[in-house]
Amino acid sequence: MTDETRLSELRAKFGRVPPAPDEPSPKPLTLREKQPRFEGLVSGHRACQGCGEALAARLVMESAGPDVMVANATGCLEVFTTPWPQSAWHVPWIHSLFENAPAVASGMEAAMKAQGKKTKVLAFGGDGGTYDIGFQALSGMLERYHNILYVCYDNEAYMNTGIQRSSSTPHAASTTTSPAGKDRMGKRHLKKDLLSIIAAHHVPYAASASVAFPADLQRKVRYAMGIEGPTFIVVHSPCPLGWKHASALTIEVARRAVECGLFPLVELERGSLSNVMPIRSPRPVRDYLEVQGRFAHLMKDKDPRAEKERDHLQALADYNIATFGLAGAAQDANDTGGAAAVGRGGPLVGGM
Amino acid sequence: MAVLTRGAYALPGTSLDFKTGNWRSTEVPAHVHAKAPCHGACPAGEDQQAWFGLLQQNNLEGAWRELVSANPLPAITGRVCPHPCETACNRVTLDGALAIHNVERWLGDRAIEHGWAYPAAAPAADAPVVAIVGAGPAGLSAAWHCVRLGLRAEIFEALPEAGGLLRSGIPPTRLPRDVIDAEIERLLAVPGITLNLRARLGRDVTLDGLRRSHAAVLLGPGCQEGKDWSVQGAVPVDLHEGLALLREFMDVGAFPPGDRVIVHGGGNTAMDLCRMLKRAGAGHVTLVTASGLPGPETDPGDVINVVPRELEEALEEGVEIIAHATINRLIMKGSKVTGVEVVSLRKLKGADGRTKRVSFEGTERVLPVDLVVPCVGERVSPEGLEGLLRGGYLRSVDAWGRLAADGVIAMGDARGDRGTVAEAIGDGRRAALAAAALVAGAPEPQEDAREVLQANALNTRYYPPRARSAAPKLPVEARTFEAEIEGCIGSDAALAEAARCLSCGNCLACDNCWTFCPDNAVIKTVELARDGSHYVFDLDYCKGCGLCAAECPTGYIQMVAEA
Amino acid sequence: MREALEGSLAIARAVALCKPDVVAAYPITPQTHIVENLSRLVAEGEMHTEFVSVESEFSAASVVLGAAAAGARAYTATASQGVLLMAEVLFNIAGLRIPLVMTVANRAVSAPLSIWNDHGDSMAVRDSGWIQLHCVDNQEAVDTTIQAFRIAQETELPVMVCMDGFVLTHTMEIIDMPSQEEVAGWLPPFDFARKLDPTDPKSFGMLVTPEYFAEIRHAHHAAMTRALPVIDQIDRDWAALTGRSSGGLLEVEGDPAAEVGILAMGSTVGTLRAGMAAHAEAAGPARIIKLRAFRPFPAEALREAVKGLKHLIVIDRAISPGLGGIVGTEVAAVLADMADRPRIHNHAIGLGGRDIPETIYADLMAAIRDPDAPAFSVFDVDLEKLAPEDR
Repeated sequence: MTDETRLSELRAKFGRVPPAPDEPSPKPLTLREKQPRFEGLVSGHRACQGCGEALAARLVMESAGPDVMVANATGCLEVFTTPWPQSAWHVPWIHSLFENAPAVASGMEAAMKAQGKKTKVLAFGGDGGTYDIGFQALSGMLERYHNILYVCYDNEAYMNTGIQRSSSTPHAASTTTSPAGKDRMGKRHLKKDLLSIIAAHHVPYAASASVAFPADLQRKVRYAMGIEGPTFIVVHSPCPLGWKHASALTIEVARRAVECGLFPLVELERGSLSNVMPIRSPRPVRDYLEVQGRFAHLMKDKDPRAEKERDHLQALADYNIATFGLAGAAQDANDTGGAAAVGRGGPLVGGM
Repeated sequence: MAVLTRGAYALPGTSLDFKTGNWRSTEVPAHVHAKAPCHGACPAGEDQQAWFGLLQQNNLEGAWRELVSANPLPAITGRVCPHPCETACNRVTLDGALAIHNVERWLGDRAIEHGWAYPAAAPAADAPVVAIVGAGPAGLSAAWHCVRLGLRAEIFEALPEAGGLLRSGIPPTRLPRDVIDAEIERLLAVPGITLNLRARLGRDVTLDGLRRSHAAVLLGPGCQEGKDWSVQGAVPVDLHEGLALLREFMDVGAFPPGDRVIVHGGGNTAMDLCRMLKRAGAGHVTLVTASGLPGPETDPGDVINVVPRELEEALEEGVEIIAHATINRLIMKGSKVTGVEVVSLRKLKGADGRTKRVSFEGTERVLPVDLVVPCVGERVSPEGLEGLLRGGYLRSVDAWGRLAADGVIAMGDARGDRGTVAEAIGDGRRAALAAAALVAGAPEPQEDAREVLQANALNTRYYPPRARSAAPKLPVEARTFEAEIEGCIGSDAALAEAARCLSCGNCLACDNCWTFCPDNAVIKTVELARDGSHYVFDLDYCKGCGLCAAECPTGYIQMVAEA
Repeated sequence: MREALEGSLAIARAVALCKPDVVAAYPITPQTHIVENLSRLVAEGEMHTEFVSVESEFSAASVVLGAAAAGARAYTATASQGVLLMAEVLFNIAGLRIPLVMTVANRAVSAPLSIWNDHGDSMAVRDSGWIQLHCVDNQEAVDTTIQAFRIAQETELPVMVCMDGFVLTHTMEIIDMPSQEEVAGWLPPFDFARKLDPTDPKSFGMLVTPEYFAEIRHAHHAAMTRALPVIDQIDRDWAALTGRSSGGLLEVEGDPAAEVGILAMGSTVGTLRAGMAAHAEAAGPARIIKLRAFRPFPAEALREAVKGLKHLIVIDRAISPGLGGIVGTEVAAVLADMADRPRIHNHAIGLGGRDIPETIYADLMAAIRDPDAPAFSVFDVDLEKLAPEDR
C-alpha cells in the first residue's frame, strides 16, 4: 500500500489528518518536539515522584523505538501510562492481562511475520508479571524463539497492588505480605535467580541492567534489538514508595545495589556468561540497606537476628561477586566507576 | 467530555494533556550558578571554573580572555601565587586538587607567545581619567580594569620601571625578569593606559594635585619601609631588615658575611631570603616563626603563610625551621649579636576569645649566630601621604579600599592587611570598580555576592578518576640565583588538568538531568537557555522528585522552595 | 466438492480456506484432531500460516489476541478445561473488541474428569461477550466456521463456533467443501481498523474509570444486539453462494401446526430429527426449533418461532447447579412477556457424553403430559445410581 493510500484511509477512518511524511509541519516544532531522542514514553504519565520504572521504560523506549510495538503486562507501568483517554505512549501499545504479555507479544510477532513486516515486538512486565504469574508464558515465548525483546522492570514486589512480596523480593525485605515483626525478619525466601533460568532456555541474549547506569542499559537494549530471536533484559528499577526511600535517591539506591553486588549487571549469550560490569570498589551491603525503609528492621545494631540477616545479605552479595567475577582484575573503563562517567557535553564513552 | 472509542483505545502522547506539575509540593528544581570554590577563594577574583570550562572545549584563547577579565597578569601570578584556589578545590578529596596554578602560568605564557590581544575596547578619547599611584600589581590591575570599565588610566610610578614589588621583592628563581617584562609591556600597550615613570608622590606629583586633575586617585604605593624591630629594646648595630636585604642583594649580588643566619618572620619574603642566603653559601639558615608547619596537628589558621611549594623547596634545600617559636633575647657582644635565645610559643585562645601568643617558660635555648635578619613586614613610606596613614598603612573601612578623602582609594600591600600579588590584583579590580561607580555617580559598586558551592552539593560519582599532573622542577643541586626553579606543565598536562575540573556550580552539559528525569520534564536545547545552560525545566510536568538535582554532578541543579 | 471427512479434518480444511495469518492452539481432547490436521496442512505446505504451538490454552488465546490486534486474521480451537483456562483472556478479547474465530469442541468440565461431550464449557463463558454459534452437523460446522470469520470482521466481535465433541469432531460425514475460489471471493481480506500500527500508534487495553465503564458495557451489549441481523444476513449470503444455509439465528423445522415445540442446540437437533421421523406417529408431531445463535440471543426470532405452541421443551446440554437449565431459563425469560406463551419444560440431557438415543423424542413428548413434572429436570438421570442421601 502506498503512503498516499494509507493516509487517505486513515483520514477517512479517523477524521484526523496525519501529516504526510514530506508535508511541511503547519507550525514550528516546540522545544519538546525537537528533542534529539525518540520519546516513546512522554510526559503526563501518573508514575510516582522519582519512579525508577518510568525512567527505565523511557530509557528503553529511547533506544528501541520508533519501529516497535509493545505488549505490556498489567502493573504500575501499564496503569500509570494509560488511564483512558490519555496514553503516554508514542508507539503501538497493548495491555491485555497480568500474565500474558509474552503470549500476546508472541501473537503480535507472528502477525508481523505473517505480514512480512519488520516492526520489532517488545514485551514489558514488572517482576510480578515476569518472575511469578507470567513466568510460564515467558518460558513458552523464549522456547518458541519469537523475535521479541522482553524487558522486565524489576522493582522487587507487587507495587501496583500495594507492595506485596514477589519471588523477586530480596531476602529479608519487609513488604505488606512479608512484614517484619516480632517473629519475622521480612521475606523468608531468596530472590529468584530469574536470569539464569532465562539463560537456560539457550536464548541468544539475556542481561541485567540498572537505571543507575543508563548508558549501559541503553547499550544492552540496542544490542538486543539487533538480535533476531528472543532476548531478555531485567532492569533494576527502584520504587521510592515500596522501598521507602526519598524520591531523589532512586539512582543512588540503584547504584548501591550494583556496587554492593546484590544486583550484578551481567550478560549471558546462549546461556554462557559473556560480559559483566566489574565493581570498581565493592561497597558493603549495609550501604545499600540503610537508605531503604524496607530494610529498616535490619539496622538495629543490638538485634542478633538483624545482624544475622545483614550477614546473610552480605554473603549473597559476596557470592555474586565471586560467581560472576565482579571484582575485576584491574580498573576497567566500563566498570561501575567508568560506566556512568560524564564530562562536558555528555556521557563519557568507556569512562574516559 | 471525551467520547469513548471502540474498545477504549487512546491516541498517542495524549497524556501531555495531563499536567503533572501540580504534584510538586514544596520544592522545584532550579539552575543555581553558585560560585565555584576556586573562584570564591581567589583573591584576584578569577573565575577559574569559567576558564577551565573553555579549556575543556579546547578554546585556549577564550579561556585566557576569561582569565584576564579578572587578572591581567596570569603569567606572573601563575608563578608566584600561593593559590588558595587549589586549597579550596573540591577535587582535593577525590584525587587531588586541580593544578590551577600551573595551568594559569601555562596559559599566561601562551598568551605572550601567541600575542593574544587583551580583550578591551579603547576608552573614548574624552573618557574620565583615573590617576593611579604605583605601577606594582595593584596599580597595573587597576589600570586594566579602568580601561575595561571605559575609563582612561594614568599611572604614576616613582621608579624608572613598572613592576613594583614584582621586581624588588621576588627573586628571579621564582619570577624570571623576562616574564615580568613581557607581561607588563603587553598590558601597558593596552590603549587607554599611560605610564609616567620617575614620578614620585610627594616629590613630582601631589595627592591634592592628582585629586584636582583626575576623576579619582587610586593609591597602590606598596610598602617600602621595614618595620621597626627590636628584642626587648635591643637592636644590633648591623641590623639588616629582610626586604631591604633582598633588594640589596638583587642590586649588588651579595649578602653580608655570616655562616650562621637566623631569619625571624613567617612570610614569603622570609622564605625567599632563607633560600637565597642558603644558596649564597651560608652554612646554617634557620627560620624562627610563630606559625606552625602544615600537618594534621596544625590548625589551618595557624599554618605558616607561605606558598606550600616554596616551603617544600626550602626544606629540600636545607633551610631549617623552628616553628611555634620566637626570639626572646639577643645575646650581644657589644652592639654585635652573637646568639639568640629562642623560646617555644603557641597561639591560644584567651578568656576573651581572642588569640594570644603564649611563650612557655623552660623552653628557652640559645643559638649562636653571625647574622639576625628580621623579616616581620613592611609599611608604607609616608612621603606624599601625610595625614592618610594610620599605623603605617592606608587602612580602609570597606572592601573597595575607599579612604576618608573623597575619590581616594587604597589598594595592595599599602592597605596593611594584604600580602600577595593576587590580593593586590584583586584590590586593583575593586578599586577600579569603586572609581567607576564614583565617576558614574552610582551609589555603590556591586561585588559578586553569590554563594560558594559546598562540596556536599556535588555528586562526585560521575567524575572518572584522573591523577593530578605535576610541573617539572629543577633538582636542588641545579638551583642557582637566576634559573627558574619550577618549569612549565606543558600543553598536554594542562589540558588534562582542565579535563579534571568538576565544573562546580556550573552546567557541564553532561545530560544527566535530561537522562534521569522519569517525567521527561527536562528539555534539552541546542541553543543556550537563558540561564546559560543547555536545559530547560518543563514545570508543567516536573513532579519535584529531585532526581535531577541529586544526580547533577556539579551542584548546578538545586531544589529550591516553590515560588 | 463432496467427500467423506472426519469432522475435525473438515474444520481444519475450512479454516485453511479462510487463510488465517496466525493460528495458535494447545491440544486438548476432543479438539486435538483439528490442531493436528491444521499442523499437517502447514507441514505439507498446503496452508501458509504462522502456526504458534503454545504451552497452554491461556497462551493460545493470548497469542491470537495479540495477532489479531496486530492486524492478522487469527484462529484458535479448544475445549473444556481449555475454555476455562482461557476464560480470563476470552473476556479480555471481547472487551477489546478484537475480531477472531475460535472453535470449541464442546466437552464436559471436570471434576469429575470427563472427556465426553456436553456444553458445560462454552456455557461457562457465555457472558464473556463472544458471539456463540452452535452447529448441528459437520457441514454446518464447516459453513459456520467460514461465516464466522466474516461475522467477526463485520462486527468487530470474536466468534466462538461450538460443535459437539466426538459427536461431530470425530464423526465421518459427507461434506460439501467449498472451493478456495468461492471462499476467497466471498470472504473479504482481514483489515482491522484499530490494529497496532507504528504509523498510527494507538494504545489499547486502557484503564477505564467508573465514569466510563458502564458505557463500555452498554456499547458491547449494543454491538452484540446489532450482530443479530449481521449473522442472519451472512448466512443468507453464504446460502446464495453455496445453496446451503446453516440456519441464520434459529431455524424452525418439523410440523408447523404442531402444538408442541422442542428447542435444542447442536447435534441434539439431529437426534431429534431422526427421533421425530421414527416416532412422530405414536408420540405426536412437534415443531423443532434449532437455536444456532446462543449469543447474541435472538429473542425476537424466538418469540416468532414459538407462536401457536402450547408446550415448549427446551433441551440443555449443561446445568447451572442451583438453578437448572441455562438455555431453558433464558428462553423462559425471553418469552415471559408473551400473552400466549407456551408452557416450558426444561431438561438437561446428555451430560458428560451420556448417549442421547432417538427414543428420547418419544420420552420427551410423553413427559409433557405429566402435570406435576418439575419445570426443570436432568431428564436422563438414573437415581438408582445415587446413594439415597444424594438423590
